[in-house]
Amino acid sequence: MIELLAPAGNLEMVTEAVRSGANAIYVGPRGWSRRRDAFEMDDAAVRGSIRIAHDGGAKLRVAFNTNMQSREIPDLLRRMETFVGFGADGAIMTDIGAIAAVHRQFPMLTIHASIGANILNNADVAFYRKIGVSQVVADTKLTLKELASRKEQLDVGIEILIHANYCYTYLGKCWMSPYHRLERKIDDAGKDLFRGSPNRGGLDYRVCLEDWQLYSGDTKWEDHVALKNDAFFLLDDIPHLIDLGVHCLKIQGREYAVSLVGAIVKFYRDLIDVYQARPKGEQFDLLPWKARLASIQADRDTQRSSGTRALLDEARIPVGAIRSR
Amino acid sequence: MTRPFELNTTISNLRDLNASDLSPYDAVYLGNITCRLYEANLLEHPGDLREAIAAVKKRGLIAYVTTYAAPRNDFLPKLRKAVAVAVEAGADAVEVHNLGVLKIVHEAHPGLPIHVGGFANVYTDAGAEVLKRFGAVRITPNYELSLEEISQIQRQVGLSMELLVHGKMPLGISDHCFLLEYEEAWGMKCPDLCQQDLFLKQGDWAMKSVGKGILSGKDVCMLEHLTRLVSERHTRFRIEAVSESPAYRLEVGQVYREALERAVAGTDGMEERWWNTLRRHARIGLCNGFYFGKSGMEYLGAGSEALISAFPRRGTDKSIFQIRQKEQFDD
Repeated sequence: MIELLAPAGNLEMVTEAVRSGANAIYVGPRGWSRRRDAFEMDDAAVRGSIRIAHDGGAKLRVAFNTNMQSREIPDLLRRMETFVGFGADGAIMTDIGAIAAVHRQFPMLTIHASIGANILNNADVAFYRKIGVSQVVADTKLTLKELASRKEQLDVGIEILIHANYCYTYLGKCWMSPYHRLERKIDDAGKDLFRGSPNRGGLDYRVCLEDWQLYSGDTKWEDHVALKNDAFFLLDDIPHLIDLGVHCLKIQGREYAVSLVGAIVKFYRDLIDVYQARPKGEQFDLLPWKARLASIQADRDTQRSSGTRALLDEARIPVGAIRSR
Repeated sequence: MTRPFELNTTISNLRDLNASDLSPYDAVYLGNITCRLYEANLLEHPGDLREAIAAVKKRGLIAYVTTYAAPRNDFLPKLRKAVAVAVEAGADAVEVHNLGVLKIVHEAHPGLPIHVGGFANVYTDAGAEVLKRFGAVRITPNYELSLEEISQIQRQVGLSMELLVHGKMPLGISDHCFLLEYEEAWGMKCPDLCQQDLFLKQGDWAMKSVGKGILSGKDVCMLEHLTRLVSERHTRFRIEAVSESPAYRLEVGQVYREALERAVAGTDGMEERWWNTLRRHARIGLCNGFYFGKSGMEYLGAGSEALISAFPRRGTDKSIFQIRQKEQFDD
């Protein structure tokens, strides 16, 4: 059975995602995942999320998908032990050293290589398999042909992002945001939040979306240059992905409103169920699904564009000028 | 002969190699990591790569071959070929930025020294330890790391850390070249588009574009911190000049050669002419990258941060070094 994996930035979102039909939920402990700390959780909320997910028949994965500091790895292992004790069903991770250490200490725990690991080719997958990863998130730029080759040649679970961003750069191989603004903030638990560095667990200021001017030397050549960074919903490819036998369809968006995340999850739940229940060989008409998706997309676009403007404004604020957040 | 330190740089093609005086350098990385279509990229032309390795060695330098930052499945056959040519032609090491490529190279050429590049995302000592088991002998940590973190990795794992000490720091890599959208408007075709010294600017922000690659607008500059780097037992230094002119490569290299020799000898002191050279070549200004745990575009020299950040637009009647000395004295 293909798994529908949903994001949750708070307990209410966990409840809504489970109610809307997600098979699994992922949450991030504060400071340890690729999102702003406002959309992450303290330990008690992670425990609560696990309980809500399990009560609703869903799994719960904990995202430790930052590139942490070397000295933070012992803390990561302690926290992982806590969450495994709470009943977490898997960990989403990026740093190869942390993956190897977690696999050594918790050999039975399912480790998912995060989108931040930027696994681009089949040899890459084989490397991550060797250090203990059993499922990998496919980069959003990979083609169906590349995914099929991965499925055929490798014994690995494949996760596909069905709602996420096509960044201009490869995810995990970009530090444009902290180049412009990086704020080091240690939280109450002693975790460096690295605000401005998504790779290290902080928010991404989306500086690529600035309205750039292009100069050759000192001469302006272009007034408005956009580095493409579009949010997307997969629709046309969903039947192919199900037929291909991918293991998991993943939705990103912990920063969105609870109602929007619920609507996205419900949409894909219905789509997957209807597609899988159709008589074998029957044509599947995506048109009504496109119409239904349009209103969800409009809501998402509104939320995303106001979020982007706020992030770009924040990126211009001198470090230290933001007192608390 | 044991060298007290190694200063290296990067060259993408034979034209740049032949046009460059590499006398300040000990070693050269050959190949362009961002784009297969980069003009005469050595990684795509086995004959050129063989010739380049021979030419580098003839100059008495160490020849390394680098590999792509973001290789997809369809890159791998040519990449295997380039690595095989590198081995046959006597390259001293291969640099990898992708862990799949690391596995391929280690399995195909078990004795070959492998350098792990900055796009391989080594952030932790535990990560470096894993790579050591796959044949890594040297690591360029991810550019986001501070000096403190880098030194910890070196101490814990015992591998050499290579540091970018000057030049444009890579900020990102894409599979898409946005410059292709301008072929018609500019009357120019790939591979000439990315050779135009292009900068994306907005207010006081600037990044250099080389098509699929995004680089820092400012030049990372660690000139006044070399003594610290040497005292922390770092010995492998890179001047990232892949998108720069032969004059940049030579003159910036000369500055660092001289400064590093002094740092290694324990002779302190800065020369105003060094700063003049760096100022002449830095179109946007200088920064320290992430070495001091701050935003990458900041400069945290011993002197006035504001002055260096505004560099080179500020007055030129006094050198940065003179002003820095005065401020230290005033303090």
